[in-house]
Order: sequence, then C-alpha cells, then structure tokens
Amino acid sequence: MDFAFTREQQMFKKEIIRFAKKEIVPRVQEHDRNEAFDFESFRKLGRFGILGLHFPEQYGGSGADVVTTVMAGEALGEAGVDGGLTLAYGAHSFLCADTILRHATEEQRQKYLPRLASGEWIGCMGLTEPDAGSDVASMRTTAEKKGDKYVLNGSKIFITNGPIADVAVVYAKTDPGAQHAGISAFIVEKGTKGFDAGPPLIKMGVRTSQTSELFFSNCEIPVENLLGAEGEGFNMSLQTVEWDRSALLSPFVGAARYMLNACADYAKKRRQFGRPIGKFQATKHKLANIRIFYEAAQSLAYRIAWCKDQGRPLNHLEAAVAKLFVGDWSMGPANDAMVLFGGYGYCHEYNMERIFRDSRLAPIGGGTSDIQKMIIARLI
Amino acid sequence: MNYDFTPLETALFADVATALKNLPADADPDSRQAVLDKDLLCRITGCLAQTSYLRLGLEPVADLNGHLTLMGAMEALACRSPSAYLAVEASTRLFGRAVAGWGDTARKARWLKPVLAGDLIGALALSETFTHSANQSLSTCGEKHGQQVTVTGAKQYVINAPVADWIAVAGMLEERFALFFIQSTTPGLFIDTPLETMGYEGTAISHIRLDGCRIDADQVICPNNGQNVPEMLKMWENQILLGAALGISGAAFETARDFAKTHKSDGKPVIAHQEMGFKLAEMFTLLQTAQLLAYRTAWTMETNPVEARELMWCAKVFCTESAEQICSQALQVMGSAGCVEGNRAQTAYRCAKYNQVTGTSTEIARVKIGDAELGYRE
Repeated sequence: MDFAFTREQQMFKKEIIRFAKKEIVPRVQEHDRNEAFDFESFRKLGRFGILGLHFPEQYGGSGADVVTTVMAGEALGEAGVDGGLTLAYGAHSFLCADTILRHATEEQRQKYLPRLASGEWIGCMGLTEPDAGSDVASMRTTAEKKGDKYVLNGSKIFITNGPIADVAVVYAKTDPGAQHAGISAFIVEKGTKGFDAGPPLIKMGVRTSQTSELFFSNCEIPVENLLGAEGEGFNMSLQTVEWDRSALLSPFVGAARYMLNACADYAKKRRQFGRPIGKFQATKHKLANIRIFYEAAQSLAYRIAWCKDQGRPLNHLEAAVAKLFVGDWSMGPANDAMVLFGGYGYCHEYNMERIFRDSRLAPIGGGTSDIQKMIIARLI
Repeated sequence: MNYDFTPLETALFADVATALKNLPADADPDSRQAVLDKDLLCRITGCLAQTSYLRLGLEPVADLNGHLTLMGAMEALACRSPSAYLAVEASTRLFGRAVAGWGDTARKARWLKPVLAGDLIGALALSETFTHSANQSLSTCGEKHGQQVTVTGAKQYVINAPVADWIAVAGMLEERFALFFIQSTTPGLFIDTPLETMGYEGTAISHIRLDGCRIDADQVICPNNGQNVPEMLKMWENQILLGAALGISGAAFETARDFAKTHKSDGKPVIAHQEMGFKLAEMFTLLQTAQLLAYRTAWTMETNPVEARELMWCAKVFCTESAEQICSQALQVMGSAGCVEGNRAQTAYRCAKYNQVTGTSTEIARVKIGDAELGYRE
C-alpha cells in the first residue's frame, strides 16, 4: 500500500484551489441566491483544463489519470465552489463526455469532445425516468429503428444540465421486451426536432445547477448516433456510475476541508462568555467530527479512483461503499458547521446554510443510500 | 499510490491468523480462566515468534512495510483472539518497543531479544490515578542511592502486570522522564489480583504499587531530552487499540454475515431480508472505512510521523467508535445466538468500549483534533 500523491498532483491541487478561490468562489453566493447557472465560471473551468482533464490530448484534454481527476473535484470543494457547479461539471464531464469518449466513433469524438472540454458546449445524461430511477430496466423511453434513423419517444427526469445542454447522452429501450439487455445509448443534440427540455426544477440545494425533464416526441436521430451496439447501454451506465461514486463524490470531501477552515477561523474570532468559542470543548468536538469525516471519506474516494486507474472493471463494492459513506455521513459535518456558526450559519450571507443544503443531495443523487446498501448486501 | 497489500504481507496475515490454531483444543485465550495462564500466553508468543509479527515496528524486516504491515497483522491477530492480542501487544509493542527505541545494546540483549523470541512477557505501566488521560505529570518517581534507585508510586490498569516477567514503570528521575525496569519478583513491587473487566477477559490487567522498590541503576532508561515521551507512549497505545478495533470489527462482521447467510427466517436466509442485509451493508461500510483510515495512519507513521499524530487521533475515534457500532449491529443481526457466551460477536462487543476509553480517550482525542484545527497547541 502507498497512499502518496505525486508532487505534480499536489501542486496541481494547490493551483486549482488558487484559481477557484479567485475566479469562481466570489460569484457563488449570488448565483445560488438567484438559482442561476454560472456560464462564465463553467467556461473558466474549461479554459483551466478541468472539464476535459481526463480526456486524451487529441480531444482537448490533459490525459490525466482518475486519481488526479478526483483530486480536481476535491480541490474545487476545498476552495469553496458550490455543489451546483461541481455537479454540473460532473454530469458534463463524466456522465456525458466520458461515455462519448469510451463508446463513440472517432468522428463523433472529434466533433463533441473538444467542444465539451472547452466548455463551449454543455453536456448532460438522460437515464432516470419518472418510474425508473435506480430500477433502470423499467425505463419506458423507446428508440425504434426505422431505416437509417432511430425514433425516440418518452421522457426523462432529474437531468442535471438538462435545460442548458447542447448535447445529451440518452438511454432508451431498443428492445422494450428485454430488461437490461434491451437498453441502448444515443447522442442527441439540442435543436433536434422532437427533443425538448422542461423548465428548471426548483431544488433545495445545488441550486446553481439546472435540472429538468427531457422530452422525446418522435425525435429522429441518425443511426450513427447509437453509442456502441444495441443492448450495451446498461453496461455503459454502470461505468458512469463509478464516476458518480468517485469524481462526483470528491467535491463533498473537499467541502469538508472548506468547512473545517471556515469553522476554525470563525471559532477563533467569535467570542462568547469572554472568550473565543474555539476554547469550548463542544466547538472542538464539532471541528473534530468534520475532520474525522474528511480523513475517512478521502481514503474511500481515492481508493475507487485508484481501482479505476488500475483498469479494474466495475468496482461495484468499492464504489457502493464510498457512495454510502460519503452520502450518509457528509450531512453530519455540514450540520455541525452550520450550527457552529449559530444564527449566522442559518443566513445566506455566510455560506454554511448553502453547503448544508448542497450536502443533502449526497445520499440521493447517483443512487440513493438504500440502493448502495442493496448492492453491498448482495456482494458481501 | 497503491491500495493493495503485497502477497508477502497477505501471507503474513494468514500465518498470524493460524498461529493460534496450534493451541490445545480446550484452551480459550479469551476466557476469564486464561487470565493467569502464563504458559498459554508464552505458547502464543512462541508461535508468533515463528513469524515476523513480533519484530514489526521494532526493527526493520526485509520486504515488509513496518507499521503498515503491522497494522494488517495486528488486525488478523485481534480478529482471532482480542485478549491474546492485547497481552501480546502490551509485551511487544509497549514494553519491547521502549527497549527497542531507547535501550542500548546490552539492554536490548537482556530484554528485547527474549521478548521477540516469545520467552519473556513484559508490561508497561504508565497510567496513574490523576494522570491517565493527559499525562500532565507523573507522581511515580525514583531516587538515586549510589548505583541503585528506589522507586515509589502506584500505577493503574497495567496490562500483563500479573503475568509479566518484567514491568517498565514510567516515572520521574531527577526531573526527567524515566522508565524503571522492574522484575516481577523484586521486593517492594506489589501486584494486585487481576481486575475483572468487561471485555478482554483473558488479559491480565491489574493495579501495581511500588513501595521503596530498589533496582540497579542500569535498570533505568531515560529517553532523550526533548522527546514528549508520554505522548509517544499514548501514540503506541493508540496504535494497538486501532489494531484491536479493526480485529474485533472484522470478527463481529464475519460472524454476523456467516450467521445471516445460513440462518433462515420465513423460509429464506436472514440476509435476504432487507433490514438484515442493510445492517450488514452498514457494518461492512464502517469496517472498510475504518480499515482504510487505520492503514493510512500506519503508513503515515512510516512516511511522516509528525503528520501521523493528528491522523492517529482521527483514526482512534473513528475506528473504535465504528467498532462498537459494528459489534452492536452484529448482535442485532444474530439475535439470541449472538448473546451466548463464547460467541465471537459477543466477545467483540464486550471489548469495544475498552478501546474507546483507553489510550487517548475518544473525548480527549476530539479535543486534541479541535485544538490542532484551531492552531491551539498544548
């Protein structure tokens, strides 16, 4: 075992934190209050090289390994970037772009990936449906082959980046009679006739990300837009799930470090009963609980990243353990941090209430904690 | 970065786990009857001496990764028998480590060599009535009389004291921290009867009293000035308790999982019932998270001892508190079967609390972590 990061990785992390604190964090609170997507910050992420970090260089990326990519997410969280923007980044880079990277034709890669890496285009993934969440085999969206086209009909829900996406990776049944083996994946571009997005959903947290329904009504797409072969969609979605449970988790881990720093600063300045509240044991215990979560969660997130770097396919157990732990346990530190700030923590001026709201997504998005428990119970 | 143990390490863990299988069929190192069975303890240390287990962390072992390998091996032994583990570790990683770290060649030959061979049982006496958590000061002290030193004081909760050949007693000598190495037969050393403890019933733990106990001056080791020795000793204790927490967590989880796969309710294994399956999933998640944190802490002890201090406190809190949760859940999964004397999950459950309250207690550890985050240093 060796838990060391390379010197380059450590320097890169510091660079991201410096960049994000200067270019993105000052804009976070305003966009959160307005429930507005921050296009400018998103494109800055692209220019800095984060959106396409793990893409090969020929597609506008840096060819980074998964550990470095996970580290980038942690750095954004540690800098204080909100969960909405990091969620949008994750849905764009991993759920959409990575699927194209792994399963599209060379021509499609050349067409989409450089634009996605730069942030010129925004991507999303359409998998979840009103009656098919974790039970993806129940999906009703269909893709019927007619000559040189597929015709998509159905709808998707809770699609991160849905209202703002230029390109979507959409899962649909090419064989409605089959279960998982009937699912296929397609590229659908914005503006395609019969493809539409609903208005942004109003959410509790991660408010700067735009989430909506997607609608397909006799939406015709060329057969070339089929990713891989018919029936391979379910396995593709499982691969993206590993990103959900590593890179998409890492901003929550980084946010714990952000909370620690903010809470320690506040506890040293805020005085009650004639002394800084940091002198009270109850305050120290809250700080300790956040730190312990940070240390524990970090190891899990990087383990799944390392497993992916080793080319170990479908690390279900490791991924589910990481997701369950970070999902369920991250709410405690966020609550502790908000309470430590007292009344200020409850107000929007201090961003602890925003972090608290953002943390509530962790046990829900990307497979609820109950689903993770089902997976683990099956595999142990 | 690498998250796998090497094949050599994995083989060692297997050897450690099987070392206790050679004991007599009726020998149970976790029973209260084993508490004064020094022969049994010596057999166990003798078996372990056939592997590199006892040497890990005390001296370099080729192709093995010091504290990191040790943590995995500790887990394997504690999983098999918590009481044997605690006794072996008190002798080796407390008593033996003090000699390895601060003793000269002659003292190493006298005390360390037989410890590593499994021929000598040691104990280290640190805790006192008013100094057990923060170690602000020690009231036990030595007074020089020519080539002899007279030691006076009292120590509490000394692991192995009733069965030890030698006890290293922490105290003060001429305003310096000192370790007084005292043979168990020395006049003036009074060892109480073993305490009846909740958990670790097979480990002999007692209070001791030193009433004008005379020893030769060469039985005193004074660590280098500038070292925070009590803090180091707490770190060693915490390391042992981490291994214990992982071991009992693993034992409780395995026992509950195996039960849940074989015991049927409503015509199907209880693990197939969602509530039971979910409990086991939570236990497994805590176990894996604790393992990774403990392994990383051990690795950091090798690579960055200064940074390891705070990480150790974090690991101490998380691993020991998780262990209690895992053991409690295990009993819940197993129902009445788990509560029967001798069941591994029940044994583990009774040991879980001790791991939290000894070493740096989880309350004190949290205060120290908070202080570190705030930049408050003691």
